[in-house]
Parts: sequence; structure tokens; C-alpha cells
Amino acid sequence: MIKKLIVLLTIFILFGCGSDTPSIFKSKMESSAKNFEDDIHGTYASTYTPLKPENIIIRNATIFDGNGNKFLDYDVYFSDGKIKNLGVDLEVEGAREIDATGKYVTPGIVDNHSHMGVYPAPSVRTSSDGNEATNPVTAEVWAEHSVWSQDPQYKLALAGGVTTFHVLPGSANLFGGRGVTLKNVSANTVPDMKFPDAPHSLKMACGENPKRVYRSRGPSTRMGNVAGYRKAWIGAENHKKRLERDPEHRDIKNETLVGVLDGKILVHNHCYRADEMATMINISQEFGYKVSTFHHAVEAYKIADLLADEGICAALWADWWGFKHEAYDMTIANIAIVDQARGGTGCAIVHSDSESGIQRLNQEAAKALAAGRRAGFEISEARAMTWLTKNPAKSLGILDKTGTLDLGKDADLVIWDGNPFSVYTKAEQVYIDGALTFDKASNFMPHTDFDIGIKEWEEK
Amino acid sequence: MGGKIMRLIKLLILFSFFLFPHADDMYLLKGGNVFLPNVGFVKKDILVDEGLIISIEDEIDSSISENVINSDGKYITPGLIVFSALGLIEIGALPETIDTRSETYNAGFDPSDAFNPFSQGIRLNRSKGVTSTVNIPSASGYFAGLLSYTKINNGIKQKKQGPLGLLTSYGQSYDDSRAANLMFIKDLFSYVRNGYDSMKADQIQFFYGTDNEYRFTKRDLEAIQKVINKEMPLVVRVNKATDILKVLEMAKSENINLVLWEANEGHMVAEEISKAEVPVIMDPLNNIPGTFDSLNATYENVSRLHNAGVKLAFYYDQSSGAHNAYLATQSAGNAVALGVNYNEALASVTSNPAEIFDIKNVGVIAIGYDADLTIWDNDPLELMTQVEKVFIDGSKQDLSNRYDELTERYTKEEELPNSYRSR
Repeated sequence: MIKKLIVLLTIFILFGCGSDTPSIFKSKMESSAKNFEDDIHGTYASTYTPLKPENIIIRNATIFDGNGNKFLDYDVYFSDGKIKNLGVDLEVEGAREIDATGKYVTPGIVDNHSHMGVYPAPSVRTSSDGNEATNPVTAEVWAEHSVWSQDPQYKLALAGGVTTFHVLPGSANLFGGRGVTLKNVSANTVPDMKFPDAPHSLKMACGENPKRVYRSRGPSTRMGNVAGYRKAWIGAENHKKRLERDPEHRDIKNETLVGVLDGKILVHNHCYRADEMATMINISQEFGYKVSTFHHAVEAYKIADLLADEGICAALWADWWGFKHEAYDMTIANIAIVDQARGGTGCAIVHSDSESGIQRLNQEAAKALAAGRRAGFEISEARAMTWLTKNPAKSLGILDKTGTLDLGKDADLVIWDGNPFSVYTKAEQVYIDGALTFDKASNFMPHTDFDIGIKEWEEK
Repeated sequence: MGGKIMRLIKLLILFSFFLFPHADDMYLLKGGNVFLPNVGFVKKDILVDEGLIISIEDEIDSSISENVINSDGKYITPGLIVFSALGLIEIGALPETIDTRSETYNAGFDPSDAFNPFSQGIRLNRSKGVTSTVNIPSASGYFAGLLSYTKINNGIKQKKQGPLGLLTSYGQSYDDSRAANLMFIKDLFSYVRNGYDSMKADQIQFFYGTDNEYRFTKRDLEAIQKVINKEMPLVVRVNKATDILKVLEMAKSENINLVLWEANEGHMVAEEISKAEVPVIMDPLNNIPGTFDSLNATYENVSRLHNAGVKLAFYYDQSSGAHNAYLATQSAGNAVALGVNYNEALASVTSNPAEIFDIKNVGVIAIGYDADLTIWDNDPLELMTQVEKVFIDGSKQDLSNRYDELTERYTKEEELPNSYRSR
């Protein structure tokens, strides 16, 4: 019989992430990496097109709009892939009607920390493509170049109401490389999945992981980690100076780092401990960049005020803990404390970092909400819904396009068969850009090529 | 039913009540919705004394006990029985805090002597309604070791039962074919069955194999003997449908008792599992084709096994070994949403573990059983439900835990800085 149980725990012990607010785009100097806009709009641009946008009115639903509001017996109207109207007894001509009496409608869930595609299923060595663990600084690699478009896990997340997810490199390195934001659609190429115009991101990692992976060559300590970040940023500053006299010069690693210094690339920073997060904020101040989001941040509650003051989001699990020392000081109230900091100005996000957890992020939010109330905070379900929609969209720089049911935004939304904070509730239908992508009743969902020929049993 | 017996018991209770000084450990749980075997939730009063449930009635007079716990509108269930390494792992990435492993022993390895009742994981899980755990060993040989049962009450002493079963796994491997692994286990069983002798040359490999995985000490062989004697089941972690069939066949031909663990593709052979009357310990949430042995993993696994009549017990696979074992209730709640009968789902985290492993006197609310009880403010399987009280062996448990303590430390207004930081 099998001798060794292969503990897959190491996969999630190994990896983490980070994010940002839209404000940084408006400020700051011109990009000195002249090809940066090309990264988003040029050769590597999104080629995504929505499936088949419909003209639909959902009637009599209970709505969490993603902005923290709850509306009873409300209608939502969307056409041409955009949210067109919200209200009571809307009059619309020519739209397909869906009666959602007793049902809930929310924006599509945004998971800002996933490794789907770079750690696909089945989990085998030959497609374990999430960590370029060959150097502590690999700012030059892009997760989108590892993503397997046929990963059978996407549809499982879709059935959990996830319409957008952010794929990050792992946390083996100080700088793990660029992340990519994807629409949760089935496609044969990665650009066909890419969220149009979404900013690029950079994964950084604090703490135990880099110093463990590189212990023989360094960094082997937390202070070694910090020296490594600062050295790399100094290198990026030098690259920037060189570009002034030699604008054609290419340096793939520094192009990413300069993208951050210029406010074009959002920093997603895997960091558990409060004291290390404070150090990372100092480093960002030294070099004039902004941290979008601390990921995992099991100790975020210890510096919730600081995070709120700095406008930094924290992407968190509801209750994971104890798998390493830096994840020991867990409180299930973490998300609520971050959310409620400084008069409720904190930015709390429920993230998954798990191909299983991503399927039930609404359940994770429910546990976090219950713990927040237990700790004495008055938090509504509508507010808790922002942890799954608005805040992660903000952290990824795509809040102008998704994350709430504001008029004119992408019609990314979920119809739930009951209250999404109940364990018994399931997503019934999921729409992305106004197109039906999942329908539980008719078992309508995408299947990747990997699924072909496997199922030896009939799905219901 | 049992009216006379009940009256007799009541008399005996009243008799002892007057005869002896008032027992501090007598509790009357009044007016709760009580989860009874084969019935479900019904409004009942429960009387607990000397660690046992001694009466369950529609109405028990409050004058009988000084400790009346008003449970109106609350839900009372047997304490959760989880499958975990609680008390054996403090921090997953620190081997020096882990006691589930052995390189020296395999089949005979029982980690329960390493149990640490003061682990923070124990405190958290107790506060979340868990009253006992089936310890999961992870020795590195052909067998992972012996399962045993431990209560997780406050204090330095815990009641234990066991060994409950011998844990191993079958399926994909990086070296030997699964066919070779099956041959080996059959040969090993045959060797033990025929009476082993360390001096015989053709058998010596079982004692002194150079590879640790093939080395069996006398202690290990004795554990295997217990499986052969049907004193305890072989518990096999296996996923692939065809592998499950092979394991069922092997158990039949070896005439041993079997329990299946994980069984991601169990739904494809649900009838065969049911016919063999083999129970399955599983997480209904395992729907990812995470290995080539689990390509047909699906949310439908649990309902298909349930509909075929297979006895199920649930664990929560994402609990990182021990820390969040209590979330078996989340798995059970999801199982309901996936088509499992509610009472059966709740039984799968309370009575079924006890039944499957023949753990005595726990897992149900019945007269004469250990008073291991959890009082919830709402449906125990719902995500936002909170635990209000926990009893283990009739003793009211301290539900303080490190997570609440840290929360308070960082949310309470204090004049002092830093470690008394306000939010």
C-alpha cells in the first residue's frame, strides 16, 4: 500500500500575494518603461470576448449590491453586457424575464488570490508552474505564461459564483513575478481569458517562505529578506536613470519593478506578521511605491488602524491557522477588525488561495461575519458582501468595471437560491458580461479539454 | 415506552439526591431542542449526573438540580467526534511540535501517548463544540499506525479508547506498482497468519528489511495480528474506483473488517461498498480531480454513497491536520445541500464515528451514555451558529481559547500602548 501520504499542505504554505487602489494611477510621474502600456494593450493584450450577452431583467430579488446595500423585492436589468438599471417594478421592453422571488442577487465574486491554472488539477510535478524558485528575485516572470487554459478547476469556482480571479505566482521568492487577472470563462488561450485593461500586478513575499527556500544561498533570515527587497528596488531606480539616457534599453526584470515605481503595477504582498507588514510599508515609503494589498495577513488585526490609514487592503482567510509559526496568532475576527478600523474605512477581503476554498467564498465570509459580530461589531450581511466583491475588485484596480452592481459596470452577477451566507445555499445562475455561463438546473457549464473522456459516470 | 423504568430511575435519582450531599456535577438542561437518535430534534429536558445522561424527559422538575441551564430555543447535540491530529500537532511546519510520525514503528505505532491536552488547537476545537477526537497517525512505513480515541476535556487527564483500527493507504505511488503493493499486503497477512518466526530465512525480510518501509518489529506484527483476528478493522485511505474494488476483494478474501477513508471515486462503486457493508469516512467537499486517482471526484459522491445506504462519517479536509477539525460541521451542512438527509448528516459527525469504530458509550444522547453535549444557539450545521456550552463527561467546559483572547487584546480600549492597542 502507499507508503507515504503526500502532504499537499506545502503548496499553500508556500504561496501568497498583494494589490492596490485606483488612486495610484492618477498620481505619479510618467512611465519611464516606454513599453509598459504595450504589456496591457499591445502584444499581450486581452483578446477576451463575452460568450453571448443577453437582454435580461431579474425580478423581485433580494439584492446585495456590493456597495454595502441590501434591497428587497428589487429588479436588475442588464443588456449589452452592462448593468442598465436597478429598481422596483422596472419597465423594460424586450428583455427575458427571470423571477427571482425568494432568491438573492449579488455581484460576481472576485477572488484576488488564486493559483488556478499555475497549480492546476491534477496536481502533478510536470504542471506545477507557480513558483520560479530558482532565484529570490524573479520579477521578470509572468504568471499568465504559466496558466494552463484547460485546468478543470475553473468551472468548479464558477459554480461557486466566482466571475473574476487573480492568478499569482507563488511565495517562494521575495519577488515572485507578475500576476494576471482573468475572467472566469472557458477559453483555449490565456489572452482569451484576460480581464480587459486590468492592471498588471507584482507578487512579493515576506517571512518564512523565501528564507526557507533560499536558506543555503540566502536570504536565510527576515533581515536578509528585507535587504533583498531594498537591493532590488535600488536596481530598479538605477534602471530608471539609465532609461533617461538610453530609452531603448531593455531589462525584463527591472521593467516590472519600474512599473511599480511608476504606479502602473499593483503590489500584492504575501505577509503574515504585523511587524513585517509595517516593515514592508517602510520599504514602500523609502522607494515611493504603494502596497495595494497584504495577502494572508493572519496578523492584520494587530495593525488594522495602520492599514486603514495607509489605504492598504488585507486579503484574508476566515479561519486558517497553525500550519506555520507566522500563522499562529489567528483570530476569526481578523476580517471584521480590518473592515471596521478607523470608523469602518478599512479594506477587508476574503480570499481563497485554495482551489477548494474558492468554490465557497460566500461560506468563508459568513464565518468571518459571525466572528465579527461575536467580537461586538455591528456588521450587516450587505457589508460582508463587499469583502467578496467591491474590495477585491478595488485591490485589483478593476473596480470601475466589476465588483458592484453600479449602472454601466460589467453585468457580472450571481443568482443564489437563498441567502448566500447560509451553508445550504447554492449559486443557481452565473452571468459574466451579461452572458449566462453557469446554470445549475440545466447543468450548463463549461468543460475543459482535460475533462473529455474521463467521466465514466453520468452527471445529473 | 420505558415508563416504569423511568420512574424507577427517577426514584433512584431522588433517593441518591437525598442520601448524598448535593452533587455539584448534576445539571438539568431544560427546554432545548435535543438531537435524539433515529428521531432528530425534539424538545426535551436532559438530566446529567456523575458524568452520565441519566434522564431524558418532556419535563423534568427544576427542583431536582441546583444547576438548571435554560436551553429554550437552543439546540443540543452530542459533542462532535472529529478525525484529526488534535493534541498531536501544534504548528504544521515545525516538526518538533508534531507527534503523529514515526520512523521506528509503523503498524504498531500509536501516537496517543503524546497527546497534549493544552494544545491551542484543543482549546479552539472544544470551544467550537468538539468533545473528542479520533487520533490520526502518520508513520512513514507501509502502515500509518493505530487510530485511537481521546476526549478533549479541560485538565490533565483524558479518557481514551483504542486501538480502534489500523490505518494504511492504497493507490498511486512513486515507486512500486499498486499491484505489487497489493501482493505485499497479502503476503504480509499470510506471514502473520501462519505464525511468524524471525529465525526463518525466507521470512527474515519482514523483520530486517534494509528499507524502513519493509521493516516490521514485533509490535508492528502484533497490530496486524489484531486486524487478522477481527479485533479491529483495517482502515484504508483509497480513492480510485478500481482500487476500492480491489481493497473490498482483499478484505473479503483475508476475512478482515474494513473501513474506507476518503474514497473520492466511491460513488462509482457505491453499490459494491454498500453490499460489503463497509463504512466510509470522507469529506463531501472533495470534488477536485486533484490526482489521477481522483479524476472522477465530484460533489455527487456523498449523495450517491448515502443513497446506496453506505454508513458515512465526515471530516473537513482543509483543516490542515488538526487546527480546524471542528469544521466537520461545515462539511456536514454542505452534505445536506448536496442531498444528504439532515439527521444523517448530523449523525455523521456525532454517532456514526462512534458506531463505525465501536467507541463505547459516546456519540448519542441516550440514558446511560457519557454526558458529552454541545449547546448551540441555532442549527449546528449553519455557518453563523455559535456554541454556547460544552459538557464532557458531565463536566461544564471552559470555552476560553486563544483566538477570543487575541481578539479581546486587540479590540478592547486600553490606556496602555502597543500590546494593549485599541482597534
